[in-house]
Amino acid sequence: MLTYIARRVVSIGTILVVLSVLIFAITQILPGNVARVIAGQFATPDMVAAIEAKLGLHDPFYVQYGRWAAGILQGDLGNSLIMERPIGPVLSEALYNSALLAVTAFVMVTILGIGLGVLSAIRQNGPLDHGVSMFTFLGISVPEFFWGIVFILVFSRWLGWLPAGGIPDAGAGFATIASHVILPSITLAFALVAHVSRMTRSSMVDALRSQYVRFARAKGLSEQTVIWRHALPNALLPTITVLAIDVGWLIGGVVVTETVFAYPGLGRALIFAIERHDLPMIQASTLVIAAIYCCANLVADLLYAFFNPKIRYG
Amino acid sequence: MKRRTFGKVVAGAMIAAAADLTGPAWAAGGTLKVCVSSNINTLDPAKTKIGEEYIVNFLIFSGLTELQNDGQLKPDLAESWTRTDDLKTWTFVLRNGVKWHHGRELDAEDVLATVKRILDPATASVARVNFQLIDRMEAVDPRTVRFTLKAAYAGFADLFSDRQARIVPRDKIDTLTSEPIGTGPFRFKSFKPGDRIELVKNPDYFIPAMPKLDGVVLRIIPESAGQVAALASGDVDMVWNIPFESIPQLKTNAAVTLDAVPTSTWDGIIMNSALEPFTDPKVRLAVSLAIDKAALVEFALNGFGTPTHTMIPPSHAFYNKDLKIAPDLARARALLAETKYPKGFNITIHVPAGRPTRERTGTAVREMLKPLGINVEVQRVPWDKFITDIEGKAAFFVDGFYSRPTIDTSVYPFYHSAGSWNTQLWHYKNAEMDRVLDAARASGSVEEQTKLYKEMQALSLNDPPGIVPYVINHVNAYRKAVKGFRSSPMMWLDLREVSLG
Repeated sequence: MLTYIARRVVSIGTILVVLSVLIFAITQILPGNVARVIAGQFATPDMVAAIEAKLGLHDPFYVQYGRWAAGILQGDLGNSLIMERPIGPVLSEALYNSALLAVTAFVMVTILGIGLGVLSAIRQNGPLDHGVSMFTFLGISVPEFFWGIVFILVFSRWLGWLPAGGIPDAGAGFATIASHVILPSITLAFALVAHVSRMTRSSMVDALRSQYVRFARAKGLSEQTVIWRHALPNALLPTITVLAIDVGWLIGGVVVTETVFAYPGLGRALIFAIERHDLPMIQASTLVIAAIYCCANLVADLLYAFFNPKIRYG
Repeated sequence: MKRRTFGKVVAGAMIAAAADLTGPAWAAGGTLKVCVSSNINTLDPAKTKIGEEYIVNFLIFSGLTELQNDGQLKPDLAESWTRTDDLKTWTFVLRNGVKWHHGRELDAEDVLATVKRILDPATASVARVNFQLIDRMEAVDPRTVRFTLKAAYAGFADLFSDRQARIVPRDKIDTLTSEPIGTGPFRFKSFKPGDRIELVKNPDYFIPAMPKLDGVVLRIIPESAGQVAALASGDVDMVWNIPFESIPQLKTNAAVTLDAVPTSTWDGIIMNSALEPFTDPKVRLAVSLAIDKAALVEFALNGFGTPTHTMIPPSHAFYNKDLKIAPDLARARALLAETKYPKGFNITIHVPAGRPTRERTGTAVREMLKPLGINVEVQRVPWDKFITDIEGKAAFFVDGFYSRPTIDTSVYPFYHSAGSWNTQLWHYKNAEMDRVLDAARASGSVEEQTKLYKEMQALSLNDPPGIVPYVINHVNAYRKAVKGFRSSPMMWLDLREVSLG
């Protein structure tokens, strides 16, 4: 098992290296360059040239990449070219905010998704099943910015219960932080719950029809034990895959929700960086997101082994 | 079962949250919370380019001179200035005892250092072109700076009221982006990129009894629904430059005041004279006669603007009231018939994505040119691509610019054939126009300047480089508790006399 984990960690490292080269190459090919963005409207050619010289953009790309990679290996994420400040603090701030949002949304999705999926499977084809289906399809088919704005209108403008967005000031209490995080989390959870609940539902339906469940029932075990201790762990395997993918999305891909709620997370930071061709920022952000994604998948694979004793990694 | 318990947990948490909702932890009464819509990229005044950044540098920094809301120039860091009759040598005397936020006193060397770095191409300051007419500059004594210009320029003192010309401390230039030190009414406290910037009162500000506020927080809320919700609930006290579409929602709100002011911020329908079909002045004139400017104000700005001839706003003394603003389709058709394109032509108009007034103008242009047989296709282009591939390079596009402090800096760079931004926009060459603009900037008499600029507007309508359909109103929305605030035609926020009552 340990060798397996070690091998996976090494492969994660390789993935990140390859990814960094790819991102670098793509940003070089993209039209527009960061010097022009910094120079802005009406940049004269000599201004652009002076900025390019200052940023070392005339060096061959492998030199630029090497410079950046050397910095990363020493733990220096570099400076944002546009904001002219170190990336480390900016990124860790954004990551912290995103993590808060992601964890809250993830917990909601897991509990709600699995719960609804199990319920639908137990009461298959009944009114509860159809009701859950409609609810989850609403979440997945209507874009999350729509629900986000609806929640702002309802909970912030009409009821006045919750703030319209943003993050709380430093030193805020738990309740204040929660009040800022809850609406965007619900918006995100609403978008994701359909995947998880449908996956759980279909696996549960299969599991509940299987031999061993019939045997367990025949043994006289209570229905609760049958469902939660015998059927569900096996049904969870595909769901874990979906959840692992959702983790990656929740960390870095929720730009729309972050924009609607004015929530300064990693997704927004990345979009700003891309719009401005801020290469060090793009590189650092994508590496962080990719690393989290890879680790989430590793955890998912290990959980398979936990839930299904038949799976063993040599 | 699991769902019910979960539901209880959520309800409980929400009730707990509602019961314990407190305001921002660090601010006592007197901290103004303003919301803006775009991310702030830089805190270095020389490099600022967008409205949000201009707000910050107006609060933290000061200039040698200051522009009042009525367009008159007023002393700021310079208590007085003199110029020679040939308008080539300018001497500024600095106020005594002005302190930087870190305690040192302002001196002439700071001014020289500021101008030097603006002139450095690597700083990439948009003000560089304005200051390139400086031939020599020197600190005559610690409180006096003298500039000698290469050519006569009547508006030299006005240049120092501009956003990028704010004076920075020569010993703190390296840390300008992380810890901006200025002489302005507010000091920098913290900046969280993408989220907010916090400023506190400068107790040593050189104007006594100002500022009245204890602090200012600028929060970045990009989505208009979030802005309106935050203002209505009191999460923020003011929304800067509120999008026109959000205004109807707030008109009926008794707790909110809307303050609109005309500016000389303009959008332009650009016709590139270097490219077909706009190489022919008759084509350009025909197109401009088909545009209904009053309708554009209604459609693109929801009525929050004024039709104009050029970016000289109708409220300005130099505006030419004798020229009419009205479309003339018959004359347009007649003109087009004399060109290579009597039946019209096909063309694409490029609009920048994310700038709604310009996008709407582009769409309206399509409809307005149909009667001439001109088929326009509207293409939205992302902003970074717009500035590299479209401006100055495409034939037909919609662009827009902020107010500039002087008429000359608003007009000359665009309309003069040697103007620094002419080739980045419409490649316009008109010898008469050049003569008029050169005479105006060298003239020290307001009467003469008025006559010349009125002539300039007439010229721009007869041989149009593009159409300037309107100047845009600037609207701020704020809660009734905000006292002493007036919106500025330059779209920055002068918060020195504001208090929260």
